[in-house]
Amino acid sequence: PALAKENNCLNAAKACNLNDTCKKYRSAYISPCTSRVSTAEVCNKRKCHKALRQFFDKVPAKHSYGMLYCSCPLGDQSACSERRRQTIVPACSYEDKEKPNCLTLQASCRTNYICRSRLADFFANCQPEPRSLSGCLKENYGDCLLSYSGLIGTVMTPNYLRSPKISVSPFCDCSSSGNSKEDCDRFADFFTDNACLRNAIQAFGNGTDVSVWNPMPP
Amino acid sequence: GRVQVEGRGCLLKEIHLNVSDLGLGYRTSEELIFRYCSGPCIDAENNYDKILLNLSVSRKLDKDSPARTCCRPVAFDDDISFLDDSLEYHTLKKHSAKKCACV
Repeated sequence: PALAKENNCLNAAKACNLNDTCKKYRSAYISPCTSRVSTAEVCNKRKCHKALRQFFDKVPAKHSYGMLYCSCPLGDQSACSERRRQTIVPACSYEDKEKPNCLTLQASCRTNYICRSRLADFFANCQPEPRSLSGCLKENYGDCLLSYSGLIGTVMTPNYLRSPKISVSPFCDCSSSGNSKEDCDRFADFFTDNACLRNAIQAFGNGTDVSVWNPMPP
Repeated sequence: GRVQVEGRGCLLKEIHLNVSDLGLGYRTSEELIFRYCSGPCIDAENNYDKILLNLSVSRKLDKDSPARTCCRPVAFDDDISFLDDSLEYHTLKKHSAKKCACV
């Protein structure tokens, strides 16, 4: 049994900095994501997003997922889950001056080729199915985790919410949705309350679904 | 190119440390591999170094003591980033050696 003191997210960060590839691409996104460019802007968001996409493209899942999907004892207020929230440098890559409506954000994602295709992948691969044992329609946690991490570095960049259970969301909400309130809630819930995605993240964190980072031979 | 036989003793070595061991004042539990250059450079010395040695022995340079050949990094490792205990990121540049030479 793991000790209560054990911080999986810290252990993943240590492992990353001891690996030359992970260390290089980690610092390659943290640098632009933490460099102030002017008095008005905390960072160059475009450069930060690009470097984040590179990190998830180039670094083996063992290390990149290790940091993004590390498991923490009970969601809130621990050094572990705060560190997990900080993985993507949310002050630059996630937060914005104003929180847009989720459907407005989705429309802006559709105008970008990368964002449009990655959002479609995410909806296809993390589709929940209550009748299946895995909780997913496509019973493949690896594909779900891959398409979720693929959203990082787009305008749909999701992050963990400060919530007792695992819950994620892009930086948007459903206030001022007008007649589209239901559509917006459905879109937002796919992130915040998705059993398939939650099970996939938990399985990786617990090390129960080994096939995710160690794919079976064809 | 030219075969370099001088400075064979000057080697790249590495040690696994805590970031807090570096003494730069960061409070974090993150770790790193620190690489450094170490070893003798006597076989890489030229007439300039021999003259300096002779002049300092014969006390002809007054109080000056110019440095002789040193085993130093000629290239640095990639930058490293880490999160500190107050959840702030830091990036260190030119903190660790990548290639060594007698210079």
